Amino acid sequence: MLRGISLPLCAAALGLAVVAAPLGGRAQADDVTLEVWSHEADQPAKVAFRELAARNVEKAHPGVKVKITWYEKNPMLAALKSALPAGKGPDAFYLEPGFVEYITAGYVIPLDDLIDWNNIEPWARKVWIHGGKTYGVPQEAYTNEIYYDKDALKKLGIELPASGQFTQAQFLDVVKKTKAAGMTPIAQGVGDRPFPGAYVVGEALLRKLGPDDYLRLFTGKLSFADPRVAEVLKWTKEVVDAGAYPKNFMTLKLGESHYYFYLKPGALMLPMGSWYTGRAFVPEDKGGQPANFPLGVMQFPAMDGGACNECKTSAVGASFVINAATKHKDLAAAFLNAMSTPEMGKMWIETIYLQTGIKADVKNFSGPHAAYFTELMERQKGAKYFIGAPQDLTTGECKDAFAQVLNSGFPGGLLSVDQAVQMMNKSCYKG
Amino acid sequence: MSGLSRRLRGILGNAAATDARAASLGLLLMFLAPALLFYAGFAVYPVLRTFYNSFHAIRPQGVVEFVGIGNFRSILFADPTFWKAVGNTALFTVIATLVDVFGGLLLALCLFARAPSAGLLRVIWFTPVLMSYVVVGVIWVWIYDYDWGLANAILHWIGLGAYEQSWLGHPSTALWSVMGAHIWKWLGFNMIVFLAALYALPGEVLGAAELDNCGWVAKLFYIIIPMLRATIVNLLVLSFIGKMMVFDLVWIMTGGGPLWSTETVSTYVYKRAFDWNTFDLGYPSAIAVLWFVIILAFIAIMTRLLRQRDRLEF
Repeated sequence: MLRGISLPLCAAALGLAVVAAPLGGRAQADDVTLEVWSHEADQPAKVAFRELAARNVEKAHPGVKVKITWYEKNPMLAALKSALPAGKGPDAFYLEPGFVEYITAGYVIPLDDLIDWNNIEPWARKVWIHGGKTYGVPQEAYTNEIYYDKDALKKLGIELPASGQFTQAQFLDVVKKTKAAGMTPIAQGVGDRPFPGAYVVGEALLRKLGPDDYLRLFTGKLSFADPRVAEVLKWTKEVVDAGAYPKNFMTLKLGESHYYFYLKPGALMLPMGSWYTGRAFVPEDKGGQPANFPLGVMQFPAMDGGACNECKTSAVGASFVINAATKHKDLAAAFLNAMSTPEMGKMWIETIYLQTGIKADVKNFSGPHAAYFTELMERQKGAKYFIGAPQDLTTGECKDAFAQVLNSGFPGGLLSVDQAVQMMNKSCYKG
Repeated sequence: MSGLSRRLRGILGNAAATDARAASLGLLLMFLAPALLFYAGFAVYPVLRTFYNSFHAIRPQGVVEFVGIGNFRSILFADPTFWKAVGNTALFTVIATLVDVFGGLLLALCLFARAPSAGLLRVIWFTPVLMSYVVVGVIWVWIYDYDWGLANAILHWIGLGAYEQSWLGHPSTALWSVMGAHIWKWLGFNMIVFLAALYALPGEVLGAAELDNCGWVAKLFYIIIPMLRATIVNLLVLSFIGKMMVFDLVWIMTGGGPLWSTETVSTYVYKRAFDWNTFDLGYPSAIAVLWFVIILAFIAIMTRLLRQRDRLEF
């Protein structure tokens, strides 16, 4: 009897499938959902920016829904690395220029004919050009700065030079004086990121070596035993040994380091990309910087005999690319274009207070943080930019060594200069 | 009774009366298919694919190149980080397994002996088992924090301020600190299993021992532990497997640092697969396969060594 019911059951299931199939097909044809994956879920201004662009695309394309899935960076990258090789994944997704493996693996498509490049700064576009083709739309640009507490510096009786830049000896002295006053000199932690601990040593290496040798260093063509590198490491070791970093440096997370700097317990300085604003310029009850916090911006210190003391790291950060496996290439491009209009560029600066690769004609800054943005622009005068950060320049074993040694072990006071040189050379230097 | 329900009752009644073994293969497959498909897609295929990948290098543009045992050779003879991870995992596994199992036994004995507030203690000791690794990791990162952590605060309070340190920030203490958190989480599980086993012990044997004036220590070593042997072996094996694959807690608390001092084989596999700016899943798959074989071998050895040759009768 059981055998008897199998035929009607199968027939019913088959019938249901036949009836439902065209319905499903029609739903897909009429209502397209554009899938986008984005990092920076914890930055409300950026979330609002990208959601606005999504709604604008929906208005311009009836029947289209843009669904942005918000991630933290590492889980998003892990999900992408599983989805893309299987020919799956979102139509468009967040990516940074350092992740060139997505391009070499063929998982993202060239955008030269899909994007209105008149709206994008040429220097920002250049970062995404590989083999003559452009693969990403740059959105966020940033420079590495040292944020500091103006009042605290004044209380220590220290005056910042007009150039906004201490010499290496002055900087070491600032660290010692701050420590002696019972304050943490530099609020920094490496609890959840593979790069913040290397801000001081990285920028010092850039200034000492100049952009060409700096690039050679992190691409395996210059030894870490180079005397100039050793000098920088020795100076950094002095800064570390003077008690520059918090005792909980190893476990302090990026978001926590912001809070540590401007609120509790408070620190004099916070070296950070200028995307600092994404976390700091949110309401206080959401962990933002107090409204009356005396925020200042200084340059990283000048190195003795530095080849390029006016150099500073600039990098394109948040960008968007299109999945090579997407069935909605034009719609994905429409979303990328919607985020890159001059109006959106203006909105980016006025709400996120951060540089951008989108052309935006903003001459007068307005809003509660206008003074900050003016000071940030002041710090860019005469600067020579090196585009790219060490964590993006390195790959494989060298990338891991950078995270463990220059980002964590060395600034954490666990390694001598010789040990750091030896470990970095072993993993990075190709001879 | 409606016609439909009558028909259904007829079908079910007749079906129950039918010998399922007499059902046709097609019918059996139809009912098994969803579960089989699910199992094949989410268990069998990933395992087979991992074995396949381990003998290949996956190049850009999805080019797959057969490399034979090349990946395994590199792992065994040219990868010091792998061996560092093996050393950490081995230390973690041996120490944490022993403390987990025998610590759990001690707690169970404490409750079995009806210690004061045994009911409350049982709840307190078991609660960490119910927490996810993420929660446990976050709690213990805070406990170990140098500035505002409980560990240093207690040391300071009892006058041992000189021993305050960054527990997760130094290579000499980081692995032990993570181990402490892991043991805290799992001790209660072993305790509950042992407690159930203790209550299942035959009362007449224990009673006879008491009549013979057998002391607590003698009773423990000559009666209780031998009778708990099967439970101990099972918990040792389960705990061993879990710790050889430890990932979540390490990843949340230290990410393998500082200076690879808490790197385990699982965190290393993850880093090689997803953190190294490469899509090559061949090498990390080879590590995973190698580790699978090692775990399997150890389990076989442990089971053989610890199995009971003469069955206890009680």
